[in-house]
Amino acid sequence: MIKRLIIKILLVAGIVFIAIQFIPMAKNISLKESGKDISKVVVVPIKVQAILKNACYDCHSNNTHYPWYSHVQPIGSMLGIHIQQAKEKLNFSEFGNYSNRRQISKLQGIANSIKDDIMPLSSYKLMHKSANLTEVEKNLLINWAQQTSDSLSAGN
Amino acid sequence: MKKIILGLAIAAVTLTACNSKKTADNQNTNEDSQTVNVKLPTSSDTVKAVTFNDVLCYYLRIKNGLANDNGQEAAKGGKDFVQSILKIDKTSFSKVQNDKWNDIASDAQEMAEHIGENADKLEHQREHFEMLSHDIYDLIKLLGSSDVMYKDLDTMYNNGKGAYWISESKEIKNPYMGKAMQTSGSIQEVIK
Repeated sequence: MIKRLIIKILLVAGIVFIAIQFIPMAKNISLKESGKDISKVVVVPIKVQAILKNACYDCHSNNTHYPWYSHVQPIGSMLGIHIQQAKEKLNFSEFGNYSNRRQISKLQGIANSIKDDIMPLSSYKLMHKSANLTEVEKNLLINWAQQTSDSLSAGN
Repeated sequence: MKKIILGLAIAAVTLTACNSKKTADNQNTNEDSQTVNVKLPTSSDTVKAVTFNDVLCYYLRIKNGLANDNGQEAAKGGKDFVQSILKIDKTSFSKVQNDKWNDIASDAQEMAEHIGENADKLEHQREHFEMLSHDIYDLIKLLGSSDVMYKDLDTMYNNGKGAYWISESKEIKNPYMGKAMQTSGSIQEVIK
């Protein structure tokens, strides 16, 4: 009796799982250059750019590099919502659209969240080993963000 | 007509409330009882128009919370600050003021949101408070304040880079250092 019930539950769960695979996923991949990428607006050294692309751009840009499991639902949809929220907070691809004031505070926010180990998120680092930044990489990023922010402030 | 009188009466009460807080700050040496004396217009207060003075009051509430190492109080101030930014009455703003307001206030709003959401992370609140202070300073310069304000400087924060804050009283109460070094810092500018 109990066995039957378990089989039924598994069957229903299996059907639901297959069904949700048909939920379409909007991919965060923009083919055209916005021309507003941070590298077009401020000086971004190659080393810094490499770290940004590697550890930040998956969620904070218009181009996500999707891992295999992102094609499985409901993970795909959850990631989609997450990326949407991350881009609202900071989008490197649209950095040029921020006002001068916003650019300065975004850069300070970048420096602070790296310093405080808030970013990259630990859940992201779990799945992306290379986003586990070394002290050298962190300092490189923090110094770059602070200096760039300072030079933008001085330009006012 | 009755409505106008009512509105004025409420505005007067609120204004006195913000001012009475100031006297409380000056007279009261006990920090904990100080927070009790802080009477601010609540965000549910929909009758009167929200003014820049209200925004400033909530900023000062954040500042005083941080100076007392009270992240909860700072977070409350942050949340009310966001509401006041969203509800402010801009009818008296000029075109220039309006444009500048939109730019500065959107930044200030984001900083206050972070402060509101991180009641348990004092240092994180302080980082955003530093940026919020820049916004508030610029807003006071843009719109003016009914009371004299002080721009205070802490030369040590941020590894010696320094940071400033805006205060309602001459007395130094450092929101970056908190209780550990509450009186460190100096008045850099008197804003009238």
